[in-house]
Amino acid sequence: MDFRFGEKEEKLRQEIRKFAKEELPPGWLSTMLEEESEDEDWEFAMSIAKKLAERGWLTMSWPEEYGGKGASLWEQLVYSEEASYWGIPGVTMGVGGVDWVGPSLMMFGSEEQKKKYLPLIASGEPDGIWCTAYSEPNAGSDFAKIQTRAVREGDEYVINGQKIWTSAAHRAKWCWIAVKTDPDATKPHKGISVFIVDMKSKGITVRPLINYVGHHIFNEVFFDDLRVPAANLVGKENNGWYQLMHALGFERGSIAGRCYGYNKRILDELIEYTRERGLFREREIRHKLADVAIELETQKVLAYETIWKMSKGASPIYEPSRDKVFNDHILERLAMLGTEILGCYSQIDPLSRNCKWTKLNGHMESLFWLFLGYAIAAGTDEVEMNIVGQFGLKLPKSY
Amino acid sequence: MDFDFSEDQTMIIDSARKFLEKECPKDKVRKLKEDEKGYDPETWGKMAEMGWMGLILPEEYEGIGMEFFDLTLLMEEMGRNILPAPFFHTVALCSLPILEYGTSEKKRNILPKIACGEEIWTLALTEPSASYEPSGIGIHAISSEEDYVLEGTKLFVPFANVADHLLVVARTSQQENPQEGITVLIVDAGSPGIKTEVIPTTANDKQCEVVFDKVRVPKDNVLGEVGKGWDIVEFILQRASVLKSAEMLGGAQFVLEMANSYAKERVQFDKPIGSFQAIQHKLAGVFIDVEGLRRLVYEAAWHISTGLPSRLLTSMAKAKANEVYKRTCIEGIKVHGAIGFTEELDLGLYYRRTKAFEFALGGTGFHRERVAVELEGYDPLFLRR
Ligand SMILES: Cc1cc2nc3c(=O)[nH]c(=O)nc-3n(C[C@H](O)[C@H](O)[C@H](O)COP(=O)(O)OP(=O)(O)OC[C@H]3O[C@@H](n4cnc5c(N)ncnc54)[C@H](O)[C@@H]3O)c2cc1C
Repeated sequence: MDFRFGEKEEKLRQEIRKFAKEELPPGWLSTMLEEESEDEDWEFAMSIAKKLAERGWLTMSWPEEYGGKGASLWEQLVYSEEASYWGIPGVTMGVGGVDWVGPSLMMFGSEEQKKKYLPLIASGEPDGIWCTAYSEPNAGSDFAKIQTRAVREGDEYVINGQKIWTSAAHRAKWCWIAVKTDPDATKPHKGISVFIVDMKSKGITVRPLINYVGHHIFNEVFFDDLRVPAANLVGKENNGWYQLMHALGFERGSIAGRCYGYNKRILDELIEYTRERGLFREREIRHKLADVAIELETQKVLAYETIWKMSKGASPIYEPSRDKVFNDHILERLAMLGTEILGCYSQIDPLSRNCKWTKLNGHMESLFWLFLGYAIAAGTDEVEMNIVGQFGLKLPKSY
Repeated sequence: MDFDFSEDQTMIIDSARKFLEKECPKDKVRKLKEDEKGYDPETWGKMAEMGWMGLILPEEYEGIGMEFFDLTLLMEEMGRNILPAPFFHTVALCSLPILEYGTSEKKRNILPKIACGEEIWTLALTEPSASYEPSGIGIHAISSEEDYVLEGTKLFVPFANVADHLLVVARTSQQENPQEGITVLIVDAGSPGIKTEVIPTTANDKQCEVVFDKVRVPKDNVLGEVGKGWDIVEFILQRASVLKSAEMLGGAQFVLEMANSYAKERVQFDKPIGSFQAIQHKLAGVFIDVEGLRRLVYEAAWHISTGLPSRLLTSMAKAKANEVYKRTCIEGIKVHGAIGFTEELDLGLYYRRTKAFEFALGGTGFHRERVAVELEGYDPLFLRR
C-alpha cells in the first residue's frame, strides 16, 4: 500500500502549476461546461489548447508518433487533476477529440485516418476540434435505438436523420457520429457504425439549443442526404457498438481525476470565502464544509483506485460509473452549500459574471445552474446505478 | 501509488478470516451475548498464539513487529466476523500508547504480557458527560506524597469487567485550558476502591461504569508526562478511530454481501428481487459507500503507518464509517423484508452494534468538528501559487 505519487508525477504537477500561473489571468476560475458558449471564452480556450499542445500535454497519453508523450496513467491523472484545479481551458478539443476520438482511431482507424486526424487533434488547432453525435430525440439512455441512417452508395455513404444535444457542434470541424447501417440486425446494437463527418459538408444543419441559463452548449444537428466518403467509416461496418464500448475505456483515465481537481478547487474557494467572511463561526456551515470535504477525499481515493486497477492491466467496468455517480452527488452538495454560503449574492445571473457584486467569479452560481447538466450528460445517474448494480454487484438486469 | 497488499498482508487477511469463521461462528457470538465475561478465554488464548495481540509490537516485547496498516486489516476481519473480545481495547487503546509513551521499564513489564495474551487492558476515558472533549474530563487525581488519589466515575469503559489494568485519564491540576492538567494513570483494576458495573448496551459489549472511591495510584504509574495526558488521548483517538473504522468497514462489507446474495435468491413476482430497480439502486448506493469507506480507511491507516500527519484523515474516516455502517445495516434489513427484522438473521447482530460503533471514540458531529477545525486552518493551494 502506498498513497504517494512518484517523482515523475510530482515534477509534472509542479510544471503544470507553473504553466497555470504564467498563462492564466490572476484569480482565474473556469467551469467545465461553458467554454463553447461565448466567442471570447472559446478563443481563449483555443489559445491555451495550442500552448498545451506545444508542451506535449494535450495528448500526453498518446504515443509519440501521433503527437503524444506516451505518458503513464498516473501522469495523465496528475495532469487532469491539476488542469481542472487551475481551470486550464481547452483540454478536450471539443467533445471527445482527446478523450475518445483519438484513442479509437488508434485502435480501429485506417492508416490514412490516423495520419490525417491524429496530428490535427494533437496540434491544438481549431481544425482538430470534434463534436460527438450519439443521442437522438428518441434514443437517449437507450442509445442503441438510434435511427439516423447511413446507406452505402458506391464509394460513399448517404446519411439521413437527426441528432440532438450535440455539444460544441457549432465549434467543431469534425463530427464523430454513430448511425444505423443495419436496421434489421437481430439486436439493435449490432447494426451501428461510426463515421467521421466534416461539419462543413453540404447536407448538415446545426440549430442551437440554449439551456435555461442562456448558454449555447449543445445543438440539434440535421442530416439531409449528407454524402460521406466510404473512407470515413471508422473500423468495420456494424461494429460501431463494440468500438464505442471499447473506447469508453479511454475516457476513464482522465474523467475521475478531472472531476476531483475541479471539485477540490471549488471546496478550496469556499473554505477561503467562508474564512474571509467569518462564517466558520457557524456550526452548520462548518459541518457542512467538513462533510463535503470528507466526500471529496473519498472521491479522490476512489478515482485513484480506478487508475490503479487500470495500471494493473484491468479494464474497469463498473468503476467509472461508480465514480460518475459519486461525482454527481458531490457536485450537487457543492452547489447547494456554495450558494448557501454566498446567500443573497448567489442570485446574480452567471451570464453577468462581471457584475461588481458577483462573488467568486460567478462560479457558485454557474455550478448551481449547471450541475444538473453534468448529472444527465454522458449517462444519467440512474443508468450509471444500473451499471454499478449489474456489473459491480452482479445483480440481474433491471430493465 | 499502489493499492496492492503485500504477501504478509494477504496472509493476515486469509488466516484471520479462516480462524474467525471457525472459532467464532454466529451461534457463539449469540451465546457470548449472555456471557458474564463477554468473551471466550479459550479463543483469546488462541489469538495470542497466532500473535495477534503483539502483531505490531516490536520483537523485544514478544511482538511480531508488523505495521499499523496490518493491524487495520486484522480489525477489518474482526468486524466482518464480529469477534466479541477485548482485543481492540487491549491493543489499540492501551498497548499502542504504552509503546509510544511508556518508560522502558514499563514497556518491558507490560507489553510482553499483552503480547502473550496474559493481560487484558482497557481505557477509562469518558465520563457521565459522555464527551470526548478535554473539557469532559472531570475525574480528579489528587497528588499526595507517593500516590495519586482517584475520585470520580468513568462511564462507557469497555470490558472493565474483565480488565487487569486500566489507563485512566484524569485531571491532576485545574488549568484555564482544559487540555492542560490532564494525566494518564496506569491503574491496577484490583485496587481497593474500584467498583465496576456492566451497562446493558444493545451491543452487549460489556461497557461499564467504573467508580473510583479514593483509589490510590503509585506516582510511578503515570504514563508519559504529568499534565500532558491529552497528547496521549489525541494519539489514541487518531489510531483507535481508524481501527474502529476498519472494524466497521469489515462489518458493513459483510452486511452488504448478505443483502446482495439475498437479493439474488429471493424471488417475488417471479423475479429475483435484485432485478427490481428500487432494490438494485439501494444496494448499488451502499456498495459505492462501502467501497469509498474502504479506500478512505486505508488512506488514513497508511498515513499513520508512514508517520504522516493524520488528524484530518482519521476523523474523516470515522465520520464516514459512522454513517456508512448505519446506512448499510438499515438498507440491508430493508432488502431482507420481515426476516431482516428477526433475531434469527445474523444481520441483526451487526445492526445491534451500530450505536456502540458510532459513539466509540466520538460520534459523527465530533469528528466533523475536528475536520472543520483542520479546514479552517488550512492554506488553500490556489492561494499558495
Ligand atoms: C449538458 C449535456 C451535454 C450533452 N452532450 C451530448 C453530446 O455532446 N453528444 C451526445 O450524443 N449527447 C449529449 N448529451 C445527451 C446525453 O447523453 C443524454 O441526455 C443522456 O444519455 C440521457 O438521455 P435523454 O436525455 O434522452 O434522457 P432519457 O434517456 O429519456 O431519460 C429520462 C429519464 O429516465 C431515466 N431512465 C432512462 N432509462 C432508464 C433505465 N434503464 N433505468 C432507470 N432510469 C432510466 C433517466 O435516468 C432519466 O432520469 C448531452 C446532455 C447534456 C445534458
